[in-house]
Amino acid sequence: MNKQKTTLSNASSENTVLSEFLLAYIDENNIPTEIIDDLRLVAEETFINICQYAYPCDVTQNIDIEIDHTHDSISITFTDTGFQFNPLTDNTKPMDTENYCDGGMGIHIIRSLTDEQRYKRVEQHNVFTVTKHYT
Amino acid sequence: MSLEITISPEQNNGKRISIAGSLDSNTAPQLQSSIDSEISDSVSTAIIDFKDLDFLSSAGLRVIFKTKKIMDGSGGKFLLVNLQPQIKKVFEIIKALDGMNVFKDQEEMDEYLTVMQNKVKDGD
Repeated sequence: MNKQKTTLSNASSENTVLSEFLLAYIDENNIPTEIIDDLRLVAEETFINICQYAYPCDVTQNIDIEIDHTHDSISITFTDTGFQFNPLTDNTKPMDTENYCDGGMGIHIIRSLTDEQRYKRVEQHNVFTVTKHYT
Repeated sequence: MSLEITISPEQNNGKRISIAGSLDSNTAPQLQSSIDSEISDSVSTAIIDFKDLDFLSSAGLRVIFKTKKIMDGSGGKFLLVNLQPQIKKVFEIIKALDGMNVFKDQEEMDEYLTVMQNKVKDGD
């Protein structure tokens, strides 16, 4: 267990900082490297989803990112103060070729590459946690 | 985590777009811009070469699908080649490979193009 937290602004360019934060955590905590690509992709998809949909245009807010791990799993929690939105139930776009250009791919990627996804609304905050197991 | 784009001519007014590095939310606009300026109705074949691509997110996928739509609309061919396992996995998650012309390597793609060119010559 070695919880680490960082705070980013809701700008998609901050995704680079998020990736670096994640990769440093994986390195420092000897997390199996074979899950790096999956985790980086999940982190990007989640973060960009929040940046694009949680806030009105031109509103700058903070997004808290917390990473934690156990002996066999790693979890990333995203906390934002945006509109209430549960990506697990509010995203109903079917995945077909007509929707590829209109978004909706991110949550499918997140679901596929993680073992658990949890959403809760806590005091005007969206709290979304993804967990991936490793051996 | 940058993206390097190399665009080179192919036979019969085709274009090869080779992408290296990371195709993510930050670099996807860079690829979109290159494609907007290089891919037009006169391009017969657009080849996306993933040989040196390490990372692909949905933002990058959207650029790929948009390019396919352009090529489909103009009657051109759209080919994907050299997908590395992690990149192929992203396509597979969203079940996007059906209906795409995907080739594991250059040799396989060359065989396909030769067959297609022979068909044209034979008037099929």
